[in-house]
Amino acid sequence: MSNEFIKLFELILSASLINNFVFTRFLGLCIFFGVSKKMETAVGMSITFTAVMMISAAMSWVIFNFIMVPLDITFLKIIVFIGIIAGLVQASDTIMRKITPGLYYKLGIYLALISTNCIILAVPLVNAGEKYSLLESLAFAFGSGIGFALALIIMASIREKLELADVPAPFKGLPMAFIVTGLIALAFTGFSGLITL
Amino acid sequence: MSQGATINLKDQILNGIIKENTIFKLALSLCPSIAVTNNLKNGVLMGVAVLFVQVMVNLTISLLRNVIQPKVRLPIFMLVISGWVTVTDMSMAALVPDVYKQMGLYIQLIVAFASILARAEMFASKNKFIPSMADGIGMGIGFLFALTVISFFRELLGKGSLWGMHIVYTKPLLILILPAGGFFAVGILMALFNWIDARYMKKTSPVSH
Amino acid sequence: MSVKKEHELIVSVSPHVRSEETTSRIMWTVSLALLPAALAGIYFFGLKALFITALCIVSSVVSERFYLKIVGKKSVVGDGSAFLTGLLLGMNMPASLWSFSPFTAHVPVIASFVAIVITKQLFGGLGFNVFNPALIGRAFALISWPKAMTIWNEPAAAFLAMDAKTTATPLGILKEEGVTRLIEVFGDKINLYTHLLTGNRAGSIGETSAVAILIGGLFLLYRGYITWHIPVSFLGTAAVIAWVFGGKGALFTGDPIVHLISGGMMLGAWFMATDYVTSPSIRKGQIIFGIGCGFLTMLIRLKGGYPEGVMFAILIMNCFAPLIDRGVRSRVFGAVKQVKAKENRK
Repeated sequence: MSNEFIKLFELILSASLINNFVFTRFLGLCIFFGVSKKMETAVGMSITFTAVMMISAAMSWVIFNFIMVPLDITFLKIIVFIGIIAGLVQASDTIMRKITPGLYYKLGIYLALISTNCIILAVPLVNAGEKYSLLESLAFAFGSGIGFALALIIMASIREKLELADVPAPFKGLPMAFIVTGLIALAFTGFSGLITL
Repeated sequence: MSQGATINLKDQILNGIIKENTIFKLALSLCPSIAVTNNLKNGVLMGVAVLFVQVMVNLTISLLRNVIQPKVRLPIFMLVISGWVTVTDMSMAALVPDVYKQMGLYIQLIVAFASILARAEMFASKNKFIPSMADGIGMGIGFLFALTVISFFRELLGKGSLWGMHIVYTKPLLILILPAGGFFAVGILMALFNWIDARYMKKTSPVSH
Repeated sequence: MSVKKEHELIVSVSPHVRSEETTSRIMWTVSLALLPAALAGIYFFGLKALFITALCIVSSVVSERFYLKIVGKKSVVGDGSAFLTGLLLGMNMPASLWSFSPFTAHVPVIASFVAIVITKQLFGGLGFNVFNPALIGRAFALISWPKAMTIWNEPAAAFLAMDAKTTATPLGILKEEGVTRLIEVFGDKINLYTHLLTGNRAGSIGETSAVAILIGGLFLLYRGYITWHIPVSFLGTAAVIAWVFGGKGALFTGDPIVHLISGGMMLGAWFMATDYVTSPSIRKGQIIFGIGCGFLTMLIRLKGGYPEGVMFAILIMNCFAPLIDRGVRSRVFGAVKQVKAKENRK
């Protein structure tokens, strides 16, 4: 039992820090660069993202293991997963607007962006590929969400500082964001070898 | 007539390669640009995969454009895209299994490329068969070009080899094939593109202001 | 002439940076404080160490001048920040890099370029860089040339010797073979401590002599250029973790002293983590920063893939520095805002 728990914890740690999706697997970059300009949007995105990530991972796991595996249609996983995510985003959009308009007003715009994020699709695909159990899938999704949130928030705080800086013209904007991300990735190399799954 | 059409096609293709280069200019679909470009072979194959998907999606959407109801167009687009990605995914797994092992996940994630959906929505759903194909080819080649440039530099400098063949027998700058170096390479190449663009614009269009 | 030049510079700098004279005085004082450690390194590792340090300084200054000339900014090389970066970088390099077969003398040059141009100038120059330039230079070098950057010379017997024996660093031995083996190598525990304190052990040029670094650090503290917050919280956290978790098997059996005076811990805590630009500027934030550095250093040393974690720990905390500053500050503002908002509602 405790071994199980440690494995889940390691999975979370590995997905969030050591194999951070942004810094080592280069996923979710469009959104990463898009919403990390301001701290407020970064925080909003992080919350929405982690929530949607966990729900979609759970739903994908259930459908994959209880419907697609028995029917032997796992080759359709890309189509099915993207359908689940699109449906989930659409549904939560509607539900949030009806039930919590305040929250929807704050986080609604991020929902639309999420459906084009590759991490949200990558997590169910990895879960299916690695044959994780439901708990492990959830831990992996949670770690990935936290890792993405961490990356977004660090990046936003650095970019706010960069606003004042005199960055050379060709590097202004995205190229500089790439350089900063490279430097963060360089720092995060220190985590390598911490956990070997 | 035919003369005009060819010029248009040429422009359409060039537009995707230079003016609206997906990676360097529009900064869309960045994920694969770094993830798979630590060697030339993977970079080129990824580019070819994207080219294929882009062209096929544009063709399909263009053919179906009069049938699709505007209200449900986005789900249909996604369905078309994921269908073609699945085809690409399975054929690559069969044709180049060694490469597929390294970048299978990224091939599957072509489905989430904003650029492909954007071209389907903005161009293919409003244009005829041939221009849509040209647009797809242009965009795809632009993407292929960017991936080739990035992976060329990263493999040459990071591993001292090209397409797996050794050019120099040292590893001049190992960091370039690692994650951090990938970000540096793309950032510097983007800045270079910006710089060339700024110079070029200044020289050719002094009246623009 | 020179007066006019200085005057121009004062006008040109933005309000966020301290005036030219103070910046340069800080830089040169810190460089002076580094002198004992640098001299100790040169004493133990010989002429090679001197060459590597000089190479780093020259390449840093040249990179800065070259870059400023290309983009057409006024030269601020005189403020000594490029010199200090070069010196720190040189002190973080192994002396063995001064070798021509295999040729590795280009490593310090490229690392200096990365430190100055990519880490500092692209961000808009001194005062805006998010990461410590010297540490990025070293991390870049370590990852690009992992072999060359981890060949450690034994402290040389002869000053002029150009081909010293290679050996492992104390932390390397600690990681691979454990503490008993480490004590065995140095004879006994007392001998180990004295070697570590004086700097008579393998390692980067300027990091070996704990005593010399401490002299420099206390000098800076005394002159008021740094405060105690970061070094004390950094070293304190590391010592506690080393004591509690550093031992084999049982808790509370680790040896904090070995961890504190080996590797780059001293140099990092006194000279790297205390960099004004890349650490939080508020006291409370500095303590958080120091604790984070100490924790991450020990995490990497005890559990990670690298034997030494100081460099990565400080770089990771550099990422968090703007966030820490923001957090410490906005909590105060936030509290005020909430009260105001409540009042408004009434």
